[in-house]
Amino acid sequence: MTTEKIMVLGIGNDILTDDGIGPKLAGDLTKMDLPAEVTFKTAAVGGLELMETISGYSRIFMIDAIRTAGGKPGTVYFFSPDDFRETMHISNLHDINFFTALEVGNKLNYPLPSEIMIIAVEIAEDLEFSEELSPVLRKRYPDILSKTHKFLLEALLSQKS
Amino acid sequence: MKHISIDPITRLEGHGKIEIFLNDEGEVENAYFQVPELRGFEKFCEGRPVEELPSIVTKICGVCPGCHHMASGKAVDAVFGVEPPPTAKKLRELFYMAHFVHSHIVHFYALAAPDFVVGPTASPVDRTILGVINKVGLQIGSEVIKQRRIAQEIQALIGGHQTHVIMNTPGGVKKGITPEQRDDIIKKAEGFVEFSKFSIQLFKDVVLGNKDYVDLIMNGPYSLVLHSMGLVDEQNKVNFYDGKVRVVDTKGKELYKYSPEHYLDFVEERVEPWTYLKFPYLKKIGWKGFTEGQESGVYHATPLSRLNAADGMATAVAQQEYEFMFKTLQGKPVHATMAMHWARLVELIYSAEHCLELAMDPEITGNELRAPLGKIVGEGVGIVEAQRGTLTHHYWTDDKGMVRKVNLIVGTTNNHAAICMSIKKAARGLIKKGSEITEGTLNMIEMAFRAYDPCFSCATHSLPGQMRMILNIRDIEGNIIDSFRR
Repeated sequence: MTTEKIMVLGIGNDILTDDGIGPKLAGDLTKMDLPAEVTFKTAAVGGLELMETISGYSRIFMIDAIRTAGGKPGTVYFFSPDDFRETMHISNLHDINFFTALEVGNKLNYPLPSEIMIIAVEIAEDLEFSEELSPVLRKRYPDILSKTHKFLLEALLSQKS
Repeated sequence: MKHISIDPITRLEGHGKIEIFLNDEGEVENAYFQVPELRGFEKFCEGRPVEELPSIVTKICGVCPGCHHMASGKAVDAVFGVEPPPTAKKLRELFYMAHFVHSHIVHFYALAAPDFVVGPTASPVDRTILGVINKVGLQIGSEVIKQRRIAQEIQALIGGHQTHVIMNTPGGVKKGITPEQRDDIIKKAEGFVEFSKFSIQLFKDVVLGNKDYVDLIMNGPYSLVLHSMGLVDEQNKVNFYDGKVRVVDTKGKELYKYSPEHYLDFVEERVEPWTYLKFPYLKKIGWKGFTEGQESGVYHATPLSRLNAADGMATAVAQQEYEFMFKTLQGKPVHATMAMHWARLVELIYSAEHCLELAMDPEITGNELRAPLGKIVGEGVGIVEAQRGTLTHHYWTDDKGMVRKVNLIVGTTNNHAAICMSIKKAARGLIKKGSEITEGTLNMIEMAFRAYDPCFSCATHSLPGQMRMILNIRDIEGNIIDSFRR
């Protein structure tokens, strides 16, 4: 019996077309084969509030939308916070971005997860109000769900063994 | 002509882009502020029962969901021709004060303080909330995080959820609070009052104690002479939830005072070809271009404009601070953009004090939470003050209450013209022929609009991979001759 507290967190706005990909995936993953101790949540928050949401968990898998220059919609990326470190520090980005909030949390001794993974889905449309995904993401959704599930399953089982 | 592009803006929720055009002399010719606008909200709402809108609108923006919920709730009340009973109205306001406490704490400590506590031209690595914590100490840093979290807890308790608020229903609220919950809120609100007093003292020590900063506020390239808008109560005191919209001119004389349902007689929106976001202006004066002064139709709706437009604050300590601010800044109205930070802290005190007042009000635990619905009127306007400006929701329905049409004027949109003008003025003051454009220069230009606390949020959780700052300098043909990235 593991004592780990694990959370899969789908982040996004579910009425803003592809921006809702994170919550949608988190919802569908609850019906799939994953270890029973995993907690699933959805949120439309960022920064300090997101930091507080994950406080107290040991492992976090965040699912979010992303847009990259020239990225192909439906592509699934897997990041750790270290992948963003340089960008955040040198670029002085969004001050209340999540990673700055994590640093604030660390500084103030919040019990933060030892492992944070980010599953990011390249999206096509996030400026139009709709509860539906864009056609291109709708078409690629089974593949996106499958890749996300496979990644989570492997990550969770490898840690257990 | 050289072309400078700053895209996107740091420390702002959502996405935005500043375009600064230099002439052949190397001086600022023009400046534009562009944002992408979300599409299709009206279509999304059409055909839905109007009572669903207060919950839907909390998803428009992750930064000010409570403001949209309140404006929407009031518009829906109007559609149903009903006025909430006193307990319901006070619960809405209690929630709303906690919303303001939360938002104003975050803006001051995370978005404004880095420029003043750490320094406007300090290294960008240090010019963050972490830099602020390093300067003021861990204990205060912990208090900042704690107070904002407590404000969120109160919102979650009263509103059902701190972000996706569900409390408002036509004619009132869905649930009340128990005496035990009220007692807990009283203790928390007492903490808000103390922390807000501490915060304004910190501002005075750091900013007013520094001659350079005072010069920056009073004499820097950060002044803009505009008319001021704000919601006021019957005594013309600042009110965030209810009252009439008052507009005073650049000299402080009342121009208009109107009930929410008449807003279209006083405010009109202009469309410019280079941006989707509209430019509201005072209809009776007319659009006179991006000009400041008494003849201009441009107004601002900000913490500073609210204080300019009112005769005072409705709580004791906030009133003292209101008087001290105008006395120090040598009169009223004030047109110094950087004074918005100060005004925001006066409002923080008011929110905290009023939160405590409401929690101690005997009616707050009452049982009458909802008034019987009247006949469907078919049209309703709700106006509240959002942290970022006057927020208007206007709904039209059929005789069954199904939405036919929606019009919103959100807080930041009021200030669109003012923000563009502030950026241009700051850029002109800071970029001189032959002078080096440094990161610090760019930050000081950004400070001109950061004071407005603008919010163009569509996805506040945006991964930082897509958020970066780029500065391109282009020659007259548009070729990039230099580029900065940070």
